[in-house]
Amino acid sequence: MRKLIIALIGCLVMVSFTAIAQKSVTGKVTDSKTGLGLPGVTVNVKGTSSGTSTGGDGTFTLTVPDDKTVLVFTYVGYTSQERAASGNLSISLEEGVSDLDAVVVVGYGTSIKKELTGAIGKVKGEEIKNMPVPNFNQALQGRAAGVFVETQNGKVGEGIKVRIRGASSVNSSNQPLYVVDGIPLAGGAFGSSTADINFNDVESFEILKDAAASAIYGSRAANGVVVITTKRGKQGKTQFNLGAQYGTNAPTNKRGFLNAQEYVDYFQQAGRGAAEFHMRPDGGDNWFGFTDLQDAYDYMQGIIVGRLNRYSGFIPNRGGVDWRNGQIDTNWEDLAFQDANTNQIELSAQGGNEKTRFFIAGSINNQDGILIGNKFQRMSARINLDHQVNNWLKIGFNSSLSKITRDRVPDDNAFSTPMQIVALAPITPVRDTAGLLFSTPVTTYYNPLLEIEQSTRRTEGFRNQGSIYAEFKLAKGLMFHTDLGLDMIIQNSENWWGPRTLVGLASPLQQGVATSEWFRNTRWMNNNYLSYKTTVSDKHKFDFTAGFAFENLDERYTYVEGSDFPDLALKTVGSTTTITAGDGTRGENNLVSMFGRVNYVFDDKLLIGASIRDDADSRFGTNYKHGQFWSASAGFILSDLNFMKGIDVISFLKPRISYGTTGNNTGLGYYDAKSQYGAATYGTASGLAISRFGNDDLRWETVEQFNIGIDFGLFNNKLTGEIDWYNKQTNDMLLNRPVTSVSGTTAIFGNIGEMENKGVELTLNTVNISNRNFKWTTSLNISHNKNKLLKLDGEQNEILPNDARFANALIVGQPIGVFWAPKFLGANADNGDAQYEGEDGRPTRFWDEAKKQIVGDPNPEWFGGVTNTVGWKGFELSFLFQGVFGNQVQDGAGGFMSSSASWFDNQTKDQLAAWQKTGDVTMVPQARLLWLDGDDGASNISSRYVYDASYVRLKSLSLGYTVPTKIMSRLGLNSARIYVSGVNLLTWTDYPGWDPEVNTDYRSSNVNQGSDFYAAPQIKSWVFGINLGF
Amino acid sequence: MKSSIYKYIIAASLLGTACEKKLDLANPQSLDADIVFSTDDRVKKVLIGNYASLGAATLFGGDVLWMSELLGSDGELTWVGTFPDPRQIILKNIQINNSNVFATYAQAYRVIYNSNNILANLDVVKAVDRSRVEGEAKFLRAMAYFELIKYFGEKPYIAGNTTSLKGVPLITAPGPSSPTSAEYQLPRATVEAVYTQIIADFTDAEAKLPSLPGAVGRNSVYANRAAAALGLARVYLQQAKYAEARDAANRSITFAATVGMSLVPVFANEFNTTANTPEDIFSMQVTLQAGTNSCFTFFSTATYGARDGDIEVNLKHMDKYETGDRRKDLFFFEAGAFRVGKWQQNFRNVKVMRLAEAYLTRAECNVRLGTSVGATVAADIKRIRDRAALPEIEAPTLQQVLQERELELAFEGQGAWDAKRLKLTTDGLSWDDPKMTFPIPLRERNINPGLEQNPGYN
Repeated sequence: MRKLIIALIGCLVMVSFTAIAQKSVTGKVTDSKTGLGLPGVTVNVKGTSSGTSTGGDGTFTLTVPDDKTVLVFTYVGYTSQERAASGNLSISLEEGVSDLDAVVVVGYGTSIKKELTGAIGKVKGEEIKNMPVPNFNQALQGRAAGVFVETQNGKVGEGIKVRIRGASSVNSSNQPLYVVDGIPLAGGAFGSSTADINFNDVESFEILKDAAASAIYGSRAANGVVVITTKRGKQGKTQFNLGAQYGTNAPTNKRGFLNAQEYVDYFQQAGRGAAEFHMRPDGGDNWFGFTDLQDAYDYMQGIIVGRLNRYSGFIPNRGGVDWRNGQIDTNWEDLAFQDANTNQIELSAQGGNEKTRFFIAGSINNQDGILIGNKFQRMSARINLDHQVNNWLKIGFNSSLSKITRDRVPDDNAFSTPMQIVALAPITPVRDTAGLLFSTPVTTYYNPLLEIEQSTRRTEGFRNQGSIYAEFKLAKGLMFHTDLGLDMIIQNSENWWGPRTLVGLASPLQQGVATSEWFRNTRWMNNNYLSYKTTVSDKHKFDFTAGFAFENLDERYTYVEGSDFPDLALKTVGSTTTITAGDGTRGENNLVSMFGRVNYVFDDKLLIGASIRDDADSRFGTNYKHGQFWSASAGFILSDLNFMKGIDVISFLKPRISYGTTGNNTGLGYYDAKSQYGAATYGTASGLAISRFGNDDLRWETVEQFNIGIDFGLFNNKLTGEIDWYNKQTNDMLLNRPVTSVSGTTAIFGNIGEMENKGVELTLNTVNISNRNFKWTTSLNISHNKNKLLKLDGEQNEILPNDARFANALIVGQPIGVFWAPKFLGANADNGDAQYEGEDGRPTRFWDEAKKQIVGDPNPEWFGGVTNTVGWKGFELSFLFQGVFGNQVQDGAGGFMSSSASWFDNQTKDQLAAWQKTGDVTMVPQARLLWLDGDDGASNISSRYVYDASYVRLKSLSLGYTVPTKIMSRLGLNSARIYVSGVNLLTWTDYPGWDPEVNTDYRSSNVNQGSDFYAAPQIKSWVFGINLGF
Repeated sequence: MKSSIYKYIIAASLLGTACEKKLDLANPQSLDADIVFSTDDRVKKVLIGNYASLGAATLFGGDVLWMSELLGSDGELTWVGTFPDPRQIILKNIQINNSNVFATYAQAYRVIYNSNNILANLDVVKAVDRSRVEGEAKFLRAMAYFELIKYFGEKPYIAGNTTSLKGVPLITAPGPSSPTSAEYQLPRATVEAVYTQIIADFTDAEAKLPSLPGAVGRNSVYANRAAAALGLARVYLQQAKYAEARDAANRSITFAATVGMSLVPVFANEFNTTANTPEDIFSMQVTLQAGTNSCFTFFSTATYGARDGDIEVNLKHMDKYETGDRRKDLFFFEAGAFRVGKWQQNFRNVKVMRLAEAYLTRAECNVRLGTSVGATVAADIKRIRDRAALPEIEAPTLQQVLQERELELAFEGQGAWDAKRLKLTTDGLSWDDPKMTFPIPLRERNINPGLEQNPGYN
């Protein structure tokens, strides 16, 4: 590989330069809006590499061959123009560019959309600016084809699933690689690390989807790459922008549970149901020895009344009231939520002169979660600086600092998490007469309100992300770039639990517990590359890039836990009497890379590209230290062929094709390849225990991707779009290959699996109406992806679920994470038994005799979004409908909350439809309390709790008004815009749970998808905001 | 200036080459496996680590104790917790994918793996300690195999046909380094073969372990001769070989006595302890930092930091005590039911073998055989009843001895094993009913189709 680079450098130097100057042209380029000169505009002689760029005042001088020469003026963010080179030119560039000429940021360079041979989606920062969500991924949802985004629950600032062209792996991350201004992002230990970025600072998001676009990022690019480019200063008067917004957050939905009267009635019905079951003549199991049905009724009634007394706090008297008089009707679900606000304020300034340009911005964003005790705050600052030292050296600096504060709530499976409050009985009062919160044994389970009252759990994260760079113009068209980047995350999580909390009770002296956790991730890197652009004989345009990079990552983690405080007001570990636990670990990773790319354009029509990358990673096994990744691609601009020019309808047509490989290194821990022994303590003695069964062949996963697409523009580019079809094959997929426990371990990690994603993507942009006062544009994207697991370890063809609540399985030939469980057939009309499809296809009431089968698929078949933007005079209305279709969600909590009263958890209202008498046809089996051992099949895992989770959502809407400049200038302002904006406003779905966009946090993984378990509904926000420019 | 850029580029590329050396990084938290069995110290540390493995929640950190009690419960316990897997066990309706069942199976083989490696590297151990290290490793291996054979053996030993009944796969030496090797695809050895191995290991351990647990720089938290002998007594009891069981129990008592062990005078003080008592022959150590006690997790209540009292004790058990029995006083009533006080407190040792059990085993065998080896039946029973503040029985019958045993050792993990060897009916199921045996875990049979399932499961 190194030889290749040296050869490449030699090649670049040898190329001769052929332009011969004959005529001089001068001119000035200005901004059409402000009339100010635009510096740095590229002025090129069409069809050649010769050209210049404008100076600080927008002027330029260029020598050209002759009058027939055409000059092309291009500038980032502006529409390019072509002019004949004659005399003194005055060019006025309009902001905003036609799609085709837009500059697209690719790995280690830029390109023009028209000349791309890869599949790259682009979302401009402007499109999502000011959306009231903490994470830019949420803002991107529904805006780019092939990009699936799912916020796992309604906890603010937490995990988000992003899938570009499906899930490529079972055990490695399926999230894309994020690269901010050339620096790949590291991950944190708590919360989503992409929430650290203030996306109002972002100029554009480029989403590299196929191998042609992403292979240059090598072993980390298998899930696509999101290239984030932040805003940079432009020459001119310093412009300030002040933005402020304020609004409210609320849950998208509340489910509704039984009220007190319904609860009392239903559980008495369930007691009778249990009695009837045990006394049934046809094999009901009366092992308890009831004498007759009345005896059974009386016994069960006694049990039920005893529980109702207990849950109402009435007998023994614990300060509650008699549940019989209906005085207490607590809506616990409402108590899980809080009144929530969201606000943001930011100030930015940008400007500069011909030598130095800057962009600085600072902001504070506060978002209350909808759940009690949940809060997110981001404070961020950014400085981007560019300085032109002389005509061959440019240096610069990017830096962003942020502080994230999260008040987190426990995972969805914890009794202490706010949403589990719905399990409590509506006959239970919230507080006793002394004002103290009730908890067990009066509450059915631990009261989450107690957790809120007696605990704090705050995480603070500091992130410093940035780089310094230098760019040397070595010769005409030859540039050398070098940079030194840093991405550092320091997170600290401080938690405290009081004596009455579950954690507090579990501590030795039961006087409270505190923990303190510190995590630091330092990642520095050095990128160096040469790029050379040249045009040979007017028709052969070359663009070479070659370089190498080094990255070092260092992770540190420290944890300490103490318990027993002298006083409730003391909450830090230092005030505890006993240190009960501690931890301290380090991790390090090195990555050494070389990369290269060449793009060739023939006659402005034929496009050919190739790229290569070599990654050597310290985490790879000794037998596979280097991984090579590559791509080849081609495109052809058919519309520029003479015969096509006659077809008026078609303004642009470019088929393209690409093939290549990328890798995924994220499935490997830093030291997974070696067999190791770690510390193991017995009593107070130190010992060693095997901690890893290694594998010298461990390496990256490889994704081979074939892509074929067409970019087109019709009706004078009023309708533009892209269609892509891809086939992604994952090989060497890392899997925990199950091995027999007899070997000493239960699984060994190896590169054995195969997976496939095939799909199509369509993007359409239309300008429906465009005139002086009224503009209406539509942007639509729709994607289909079909995931299929092709191979596990080659010996077994399925890894079936081993979980009592969730059914996600890995089955060869099926999509990742399909639900494997008995098929539920509803209640037996004769006796109310739950019925399942048996092995013989006939109904059976015995769950363990039921036939296990695929009863759902959490992967959507289709997803997409439609954005409409309507502008009228100063008003602009934009709204995005986003949808997901053909996927199912399994409610793991169904066996508790929708279980025909199998236990005393409050039930969802749909359980009222339970079977009651012979002939009732219903999907809800007879209400039966499972007090006595017996038939417990009804609430077991089955398709009873698998639901269609397709939805369509009014994802975002914004209505803004830009005050006319005339009025503003009188006030001394450049611009002013007021707006209202909202997210997750309306949802259409058949999913009966809180929200169909869900994947419960505590078990969220590549396989474990589509799981609901007391997951909070998504956040619906409305904000009002104002932006002032001065 | 510009020419120096080229120098920079060349220098930087050389740096890139130098970086290659950085590709071999060692884990700061662990040792490479190939150097672990290289020194005396390290082998001994692996031995200590194997106690931690034995004390995992899924094995003697509690699961094998409470699972035995749930399986052996004849209406004396109720599982009211939300976890379905333990519920399956008490209902004797165990699914082949039961996660507790699998976890215990796997953990037992982890202990066996560790012991096999230690035993294969004894030559690295200093000669003076070699015998003890061998004894401890064999003790740990025997403990693991004994749980496996009791839970997963096709039928209890006393069912006969032990040379054809299926036991569990038997591995007694380190296998190939790759766990995927076909050599691990072992069939189930017979019940007889597994018992033979267990007896050999315990016997060897008894011979090689020090009777003084506190040998040079070590405290009594490790295996000792009394523990190995009591282990043997348990095995022989399962085989209904009462003379052998009696003699082993007697040896255990003798070894214990030589190091000054005795019953704790107050029954309640024997339980919920952070350190071993003079009565503790073997217990798994639990500290704030290490070890777990899952009996606490499920038997105790939220008041003490456990779950919500998942296992309730029914009156059927409470009614078995005579008036004034101090052992009954240890139960506590909370959240609507009686709870097992032996497991009330958090971060307390898991009692695996108590001296009281040795007395009861010796008494049972003596009464069965009409002998008085070590002591008379009456004397042994008196020790137990005195502490419970109950009157002496002059000539205890077998029934009385068994009754004493049931109450003394209640909910300490002997439930299912006593029920089976005494051929009791449990929840209407015969002692050798297929439902009283665990299934071979589904995933083990998926990997090794040659592994036959127990009757009654598929």
